[in-house]
Amino acid sequence: MGSTFSGLSTALSALYAQRQGLDLAGQNVANANTEGYTRQRLNLASRGAPTTPAFYSTYDGPGNGVDVTDIGRLRNQFLEQRGHTEHGTNNLLTVRKTTLSQIEDIFNEPSDSGVQSQLSDFWNAWHDVANRPGDKAARSQLMQRASTLSDSINQASSSLETQWQSNRTQLTTLVAEVNTTAKAIGELNTAIRRNTQAGLPANEMADQRDLLIMKLADKVGASVKTGQDGALDVYVGGSALVRGQTVQQLQVSGATEFSQAMLDASPRQTVQVTWEGDGYPAALTSGEGAGYLEALNTLVPKAYDDGRQFVDTLLISVNTLHAAGYGSDGVTGRDLFVRAADGTVSVAITSVDQVAAADTAGSTLDGGMATKLAALGRDPAGPDAALRQLVTQLGVDAQTANRRSAIQASITTQVDASRESESGVDLDEEMTNMLAFQHAYEGAARVLTAIDQSLDTLINRTGLVGR
Amino acid sequence: MSNLRVTHKSIGIKALQNLQTNLTSLGNIQQRLSSGREISRPSDNPGGGAMTMQLSSQIRTVEQYARNASDGEGWLGTIDKALTSGLDVLNRAQELTLEGMSNGSASADGAREAIASEITTLRDHMLQVANTKYLDRPVFGGTTTSPRAFDPTSGAYLGDNNPVMRTVGDDVNVRVDANGPTVFGTGASDVFSILADIATDVVSNPTALNGHLQRLQDATATITTQVADVGARHNRIERMHQNSSDRVLSLSSSLSEVRDVDLPATIVQMQMQESAYQAALGATQKIIQPSLVSFLR
Repeated sequence: MGSTFSGLSTALSALYAQRQGLDLAGQNVANANTEGYTRQRLNLASRGAPTTPAFYSTYDGPGNGVDVTDIGRLRNQFLEQRGHTEHGTNNLLTVRKTTLSQIEDIFNEPSDSGVQSQLSDFWNAWHDVANRPGDKAARSQLMQRASTLSDSINQASSSLETQWQSNRTQLTTLVAEVNTTAKAIGELNTAIRRNTQAGLPANEMADQRDLLIMKLADKVGASVKTGQDGALDVYVGGSALVRGQTVQQLQVSGATEFSQAMLDASPRQTVQVTWEGDGYPAALTSGEGAGYLEALNTLVPKAYDDGRQFVDTLLISVNTLHAAGYGSDGVTGRDLFVRAADGTVSVAITSVDQVAAADTAGSTLDGGMATKLAALGRDPAGPDAALRQLVTQLGVDAQTANRRSAIQASITTQVDASRESESGVDLDEEMTNMLAFQHAYEGAARVLTAIDQSLDTLINRTGLVGR
Repeated sequence: MSNLRVTHKSIGIKALQNLQTNLTSLGNIQQRLSSGREISRPSDNPGGGAMTMQLSSQIRTVEQYARNASDGEGWLGTIDKALTSGLDVLNRAQELTLEGMSNGSASADGAREAIASEITTLRDHMLQVANTKYLDRPVFGGTTTSPRAFDPTSGAYLGDNNPVMRTVGDDVNVRVDANGPTVFGTGASDVFSILADIATDVVSNPTALNGHLQRLQDATATITTQVADVGARHNRIERMHQNSSDRVLSLSSSLSEVRDVDLPATIVQMQMQESAYQAALGATQKIIQPSLVSFLR
């Protein structure tokens, strides 16, 4: 048989537990809209009767009340990992989409003011020179259009260079943020481990850490493994960025100038994200960082290279013909365009007399070469075709990136919604829990009153017979 | 599994995503409508983008062909007029030569000198014809920089034999000048020497006129052939000009078909998208509003 007062402690344990439940519902409701908050649940266990066997005294009563075993954090680790993957991919694709769309803006096609339309103007100027080889106005118009064309080409290449530089700056900022975040995660790991070892709650710190890890997944596509005592290890590209409280740092290395990163630069340097400790490259495969690396090492250099192939076609085809023609001063062998060592294209001739419109030496009103130059515009292997091919390829790439990014965005939202439905606070549920705890509290109080009354009867009213 | 549990926030996330999708398509349609372009960047339609570029550059080229053709028409028209008036001169010269050959009317005193002087004038006129210019360039002088095709006194050819060509279509180059020596003859057999010979011989050696007349008739026949040739080329250029104008129209309509917005269809699309967006907004408002809190005492 249990002791006289054991009922009181049972009721008391219930009062404690239910009140804690009410408090927890309050905490959940308070954080319903807190970013990264994970709903918590009171884990209760019934307190059993003493199980020590005794020879004379055997206990045959009920259990001894309720225990709060712990406060659970309702987060699905697998869903979180899926979230990390999808967030990383989503950010990679977003950066790719943005980069390609910026490159599209730089080429500015199809439009009435892009390079294509300036090319048409240029060929038509040759037609005009062919029609009036002796007219200085036609020749000077040709020179103007040639320099407009070369200006546009130079502007496009310098815009690409600017984009490369700004992407590199973004990558540097991003790596600095990643390093700060990693440090914060390391500190949280330490704090959480201490709390766990001391048996103190660490749920809110874990929430904060998960939020930071998601940020890392966004930036560099981090993945997570569970360590000891509630610590989490964060891996980037297969190596540990955070292991327990040890934190590695990342750095940006490689090309600092666009000229070093061009496809035909020798030696060609790529931009890399490396470990500060041993200098090995961190193999970023997803996240914003991987997107910037792709932009810096592939997309922008490729766009530049494609653009330069178009410029090569233009320069070679125009210069070959122009050098074979004769200017109105009778001189032959002059190039129309010249490319400086830094890739800048400019018009090489300085006066209208040097425009080589003539096919034959001496006869200065011959427009034969001008006619041939004008016909370059229709050449299926000429500059126009090269430009169109460049723009089409860019369009296909950008379209693919846009579609993939749209699909990935919707997948990511779905996963986020699933994560939210797993760990988010549902007000209806909290209200229901609140009602349950409230009623249980009232019940426990009533049990206490009943025991109190029984004891009152026993102590104050028993043994008064015949007094 | 995890989808069994639904929270207000997870509904909110999904609703927001749907609203965002709706709003993005609405923005896209409005962008297309306000720009009037179906393709404003290559990724909108890579193939269509390339076609747009090709069509608009073709339009510019064909427009240039039309300008080249009008220039060529100017050249050939000028040559045609010059040669027609040259033929008149030569016909008159033939009449005078015939007159000089007959002994009757020409035997009077001073009559042969008068014929000689008129023939000389006709020669000068013929030289003027041969030095006809279009836009300051002698049309019978090839690509010469000299202001004249023939020396105004000796009748010597000052030009060169390079053709003047105009591009009036893809790979269609038409010659728009006429070569002076071909039209007017070369050396001793050129039309100016013939006329000079007639002017001399009509006074001093009328018996030679018969031979000169034959030469003059040959020269006239050559010019007549050239007139026909010039006329044929003029026709060809005119047809190419017409062709270019027609092609500009058909190319522009193809370009518009590829690049421009189908207005009615897009407006209908926009209205559908607008109602979809409004419906989504309405639904979101209904979903988010109630919770158990509203129903507890």
